[in-house]
Amino acid sequence: MCALGVPVAVPDEDAELVRTAIAGDDEAFTELVRRHKGTVLRSAARFARNPAELEDLGQETFLRVYRDLRSFRGDAPFGHWLSRITVHVCYDALRKRRREEKDVSLEVLAAPVADPSTGNGPSAQLARMILDQAMSRLKPEDRLVITLYELEDRSVREVAELTGWSETGVKVRAFRARQALKRHIGGDDER
Amino acid sequence: MNDKRRDRRDVELDRYIALARQAPPDISGVERNFETRVMARIRETREPWYAWAWRLAPVFLALAILLAGWSMSYSPVHPADPVTMLASGTQEVALLDYLTGE
Repeated sequence: MCALGVPVAVPDEDAELVRTAIAGDDEAFTELVRRHKGTVLRSAARFARNPAELEDLGQETFLRVYRDLRSFRGDAPFGHWLSRITVHVCYDALRKRRREEKDVSLEVLAAPVADPSTGNGPSAQLARMILDQAMSRLKPEDRLVITLYELEDRSVREVAELTGWSETGVKVRAFRARQALKRHIGGDDER
Repeated sequence: MNDKRRDRRDVELDRYIALARQAPPDISGVERNFETRVMARIRETREPWYAWAWRLAPVFLALAILLAGWSMSYSPVHPADPVTMLASGTQEVALLDYLTGE
């Protein structure tokens, strides 16, 4: 895995598959999907609420890749280009569903969370669920930056590359998003 | 007091994030045969040109009905008198009819 969390073992093969797919070979594009579906789906799963939504996000990402394949210049690995498209598809989905999630229940946030070093208390799955609930109340850009910067542990530079924001913008957004998330988890909402 | 509360919340949030990182999302169900479904969607988007032509069929049908109705209701006046024909602006038709003896 490279710094952006995508496989780069065979970038030249990816570029060759892209060229062949542009020429009209469906099997080449199928191979690209097969190679990169894991990375795309793992990223998208941080934003999806259920498997059906994950399927939609994954398919939308690869449909956009197929549509824009000719704009892939090949000066960076295909995986980086694909990651940027994944992030943009997920960000668009977050903005679209923003209004639907405004009234989400926060009752689950009352659950206690253990120190991970002790191994006691609720499971990692429960922590994810609680965090997802709290994050669903964030603005789309805040959720995006928390997911990429905190949950996926990417650097400011990587987040900037993926989102198209400036590095300063990423830092500012990450700070504000964290403050907002703390308020939501602490039950101290400003409504 | 307030600072302590803030610190506690930072620690709490870090715990949530650390735990959430330990639980990678389960994608196994969606990952299975995913490429087959993607390719099926792509093929759906690549419809041949005549698929669009079929979608336009109702428009063409409506246009044909309108034209048929208009042509049936239209009946040009052909007065027998050449002078009247000339006056009504159908000179060329009148002249042709006159010269051909119709």
